[in-house]
Amino acid sequence: MPSRSNIQAELKPARKPAAAMIEIDHVSQTFQTSGRQNHLALSDISLTIEDGAFVSILGPSGCGKSTLLYIVGGFVNPTQGLAKVKGRAITGPGPDRGPVFQEFALFPWKSVLGNVMYGPRQQGVRPAEAEAQSRALIEMVGLKGFEDFYPKELSGGMKQRVALARTLAYHPAVLLMDEPFGALDAHTRTRLQNDLLNIWERDRKTVLFVTHSVEEAVFLSDKVVMLTRGPGRIRQIVDIDLPRPRRRTELLLDPRYQKYLVDIERMFDDADENELPP
Amino acid sequence: MISARAVLARATPVLACLGLLAVWQATSLVLNNDSFPTAIEAIRAIPLILGDKEALINILASLRRMAIGFGVAVAMSIPLGLMMGRSRTVASFFNPLLMVIYPVPKAALMPIIMLWLGVGDIAKTLVIFLGVSLPVIYHSFAGAKAVEEKMLWSGAAMGLSAAQRMTRIVLPAALPEILTGCRTGLVLALITMITSEMIARQSGAGNILFNALDMGQYDTVFAMIIIVGAMGIGLDALFEKMRARLVKWSEPQFDIPVSFS
Repeated sequence: MPSRSNIQAELKPARKPAAAMIEIDHVSQTFQTSGRQNHLALSDISLTIEDGAFVSILGPSGCGKSTLLYIVGGFVNPTQGLAKVKGRAITGPGPDRGPVFQEFALFPWKSVLGNVMYGPRQQGVRPAEAEAQSRALIEMVGLKGFEDFYPKELSGGMKQRVALARTLAYHPAVLLMDEPFGALDAHTRTRLQNDLLNIWERDRKTVLFVTHSVEEAVFLSDKVVMLTRGPGRIRQIVDIDLPRPRRRTELLLDPRYQKYLVDIERMFDDADENELPP
Repeated sequence: MISARAVLARATPVLACLGLLAVWQATSLVLNNDSFPTAIEAIRAIPLILGDKEALINILASLRRMAIGFGVAVAMSIPLGLMMGRSRTVASFFNPLLMVIYPVPKAALMPIIMLWLGVGDIAKTLVIFLGVSLPVIYHSFAGAKAVEEKMLWSGAAMGLSAAQRMTRIVLPAALPEILTGCRTGLVLALITMITSEMIARQSGAGNILFNALDMGQYDTVFAMIIIVGAMGIGLDALFEKMRARLVKWSEPQFDIPVSFS
């Protein structure tokens, strides 16, 4: 079966015709480095992400993939270009875009329940209601019984489960996941990937997922956006046409899955050769 | 069942104090000097001081000045330190000013302050205020600076305004560091309390001490030193209890158990 790789940003939707959730329009990002030199982190990125799509941004470290996610989150303003969510220009962070960071960024002075309740309480949900919803979410991410624990008492994988529940609790339209499983060991990472897909299957939120792992990107996503090494440009967008719900054990035997992995690895290999100094 | 090791750990500070008193007693017996009373003579003088109404009023007046100076300093220094930690502009404005004031012994300013404000409560409270402010500002500054950016972003995504992020994320996240500064500030408050009264001799615990010194009542002098020391230990233990409750969520750090709590 031929690879479905395509250079175009917009391909035929995977399931149903969906509206654009995120539009990134000719975005570039320049940082000032300590030597007062301008460092171009992202160059002319244009990308449309449809409502309900699981899209990964894949690239080597330092390619600006996290910066792109921060721009969508409204945490960083692009030097050039514009990003939109649901047709409105992004000017700052908002509860319609919920981040999950590699560093967890939990509130250490709050219990697990307190962390998860924080968003709903901020949104004005009444305490009893916020607590009931939060307890259900904690159960959903597999942490029933740990409601009163403080973050310092949890392992890395558990902390990331709390971070996911905390973000889901205020019902963002888009999940922004910044290498969320990058700091975890291989076993925990695999389990969290499985659980994330199971949770995502329930309501299929739009997800923008940053990773440097080819396997992770292919396993999770509908679409993989490959960036080049700095400055980050879109190299290729690969549609991942694999059936859902996905089971890891089935996929590992699936030649289509294997071909995606090999194709994407090859593209990075070619790129590395091309980018070697003459 | 408490293990022998735990009992020993609890008893160690008491043993250290008893040891110090024993060495004191022995040394003073050997030296046999009028200006160096034995530990027992000094301890005997303690109830005389604490039983004297005027002395008690003096000590309480000292503690009141200390509490006011400490309280006002903490209330003003924490917001300033937090703002310095989150805004480069605020930090670069205040940092040079504070760097000039920090190494100056605050009691050395006492004569000038007395010229302006007299020898009363205001001058002494102001000196305590100055002594407490700097460590609290610097620890709040360091604590606010170390707050993880992503934690603030998470709050912003939930809809917290900049002001809310300051009071509801930066403040609690920096609290362990702030309280470390307050603990240093508390000890400094006690020190500046005594030294301010040593210079502005009008009332207070320091006044009792130095009056006794002038009159050659050395047992009273040493009794006052013990009382001041005990106040320090007591206040620190009280503060530690409160601190441990407030930041029980924070990662454990290496504390030296200086208190009897």
